[in-house]
Amino acid sequence: MDKILIAEDDEKLRNELEIFLNNNGYETIGLKTFDDTLNDILKINPRLLLLDINLPGADGEYICKELRKKSNMPIIIITSRDNEIDELLSINNGADHYVTKPFNIHILLAKINSLLRRSNMVSDKVVIDAGDFVLNVDKSTIEKDGNVLELTKNEFRILKFLVQNMDKIVTREEIMICLWDSDSFIGDSTLTVNMTRLRNKLDEMGLENLIETKRGQGYILKRRR
Amino acid sequence: MMSFWMLLKEKLVQIVLLVFAVVTIEIFLMIYSFDSFIKIYIPVIIFGLYMVGFIYEYLIKKRYYDELQKTIDGLDEKYLITEIMKTSNFVEGKILNDILSQVDKSMHEQVNKYKYLQEDYKEFIELWIHEVKLPLATSKMIIENNKNKVTKSIEEELDSIENYIEQALFYARSSAVEKDYSIRKCNLKDIVSESIKKNKTSLIEEKGEINIHDLDNVVSTDSKWIVFILSQIIQNSVKYRNKKLLLNIEIYSEPKKDNTVLYIRDNGIGIKKGEISRVFDKGFTGTNGRLAGKKSTGIGLYLCKKLCEKLGVSINVMSTEGDGTLISLVFPNSSFVRLK
Repeated sequence: MDKILIAEDDEKLRNELEIFLNNNGYETIGLKTFDDTLNDILKINPRLLLLDINLPGADGEYICKELRKKSNMPIIIITSRDNEIDELLSINNGADHYVTKPFNIHILLAKINSLLRRSNMVSDKVVIDAGDFVLNVDKSTIEKDGNVLELTKNEFRILKFLVQNMDKIVTREEIMICLWDSDSFIGDSTLTVNMTRLRNKLDEMGLENLIETKRGQGYILKRRR
Repeated sequence: MMSFWMLLKEKLVQIVLLVFAVVTIEIFLMIYSFDSFIKIYIPVIIFGLYMVGFIYEYLIKKRYYDELQKTIDGLDEKYLITEIMKTSNFVEGKILNDILSQVDKSMHEQVNKYKYLQEDYKEFIELWIHEVKLPLATSKMIIENNKNKVTKSIEEELDSIENYIEQALFYARSSAVEKDYSIRKCNLKDIVSESIKKNKTSLIEEKGEINIHDLDNVVSTDSKWIVFILSQIIQNSVKYRNKKLLLNIEIYSEPKKDNTVLYIRDNGIGIKKGEISRVFDKGFTGTNGRLAGKKSTGIGLYLCKKLCEKLGVSINVMSTEGDGTLISLVFPNSSFVRLK
């Protein structure tokens, strides 16, 4: 499990962030007191830090700068200041990413994923085990019983999204939002084409009817093993 | 310009009095039967010397005022005249110098007062916007953790609030006196992607087809401002789509010799021919804006134009009614960037 520390003084936002990240398989710690933020962070030593700029006491920019002297943990700055100058300043202070409120939560999640992957150099997130088959994120392939099949980028993203939401109904809109967030601005009809191709390819692999259609609701991928 | 006759007219009273004096002297001279030499000498010396004095005064004043007039004509900002004006060596000119300096000083004080007030107000607006973004972010997180039909509908409304807040922020920025942007090299592809993502909810909802191509060009600009501008344009495309067709938005760019042009084309209802020239006017809503359910405020495109002017980007619109709209943004190449 990856421990993420959330240094955000707004209690409600912090709690909701924790719920969201927990739902997505991350272990989180919410910082509740801000008397000695810098040392608290160093003591906890998380795998990744979500840092608000406007904190009581020492502000985020200062903390970021000081942290960099002692640690190279990935830092994502969360702020409501939306301009180039503040962004540049934060990056100069050693932050890895800069996200402005209100943030796109899926983009934030993608940034967390990529940062963790890069900083840890571990492959636990590169391969996703989906029960009776395995997704390889780096190669965009799926593997079942030693057979490897290559998927196109979009097909792979759709399948990955369904696997991440296993046993839950996923609407077409949600799939499209997921694709759009990774710069693939496909339309409704293209999604249908991609779904059909993906299903055909899965059939070839012996994964017949892996993706079920729920009429008027969306799709569902159920764990098989 | 100061003319000879103008000054002469002003001296009319003096001249009349002088003539009267000379005439009475002449009468006395006649009564006491003076020499005819004296009778001629007195008027000649009086009028002659007066004329010399008059011409001298005329030349000095003409030279001073003509130069002043020429200087002020050549000035773009006329109030700067007090800074470069020569002090005169005659009394009226000195009074004029003095009064102008005082007027100028008091005007500067007034202007500074309002500058300060506006700056203060802008700071408040920016602060307020930062504050209001926090509950907005929290609300969106709550929705994300509690997805259902109701919260989705609330999220759409929140998106619309977010857009209004952005407009307010950029409105404050657009009328700021001092520079409020930073120019960097950015790839049009990233800017376009970000603005599409920003509007993905409504675009997906409307089943919009996005066709982007030829965007791998670098321009020097403030990407956040351009994302806002593109976002306004995309929102208009969604708002004024043709309900009989599938919404289609095409975005592409074309590098030219001195500039790079970004095109945004939609297949919406277009703009009436007579209204095209006014779409950038503040508060202009037009025929389309009065259609049911459009809630047009006439601020979006006005802001786009204003922000573009500040960035040195030119924005143009072409449209045929019923046949879609093409908006182009012309980014000057970096060596040509001239900022306002």
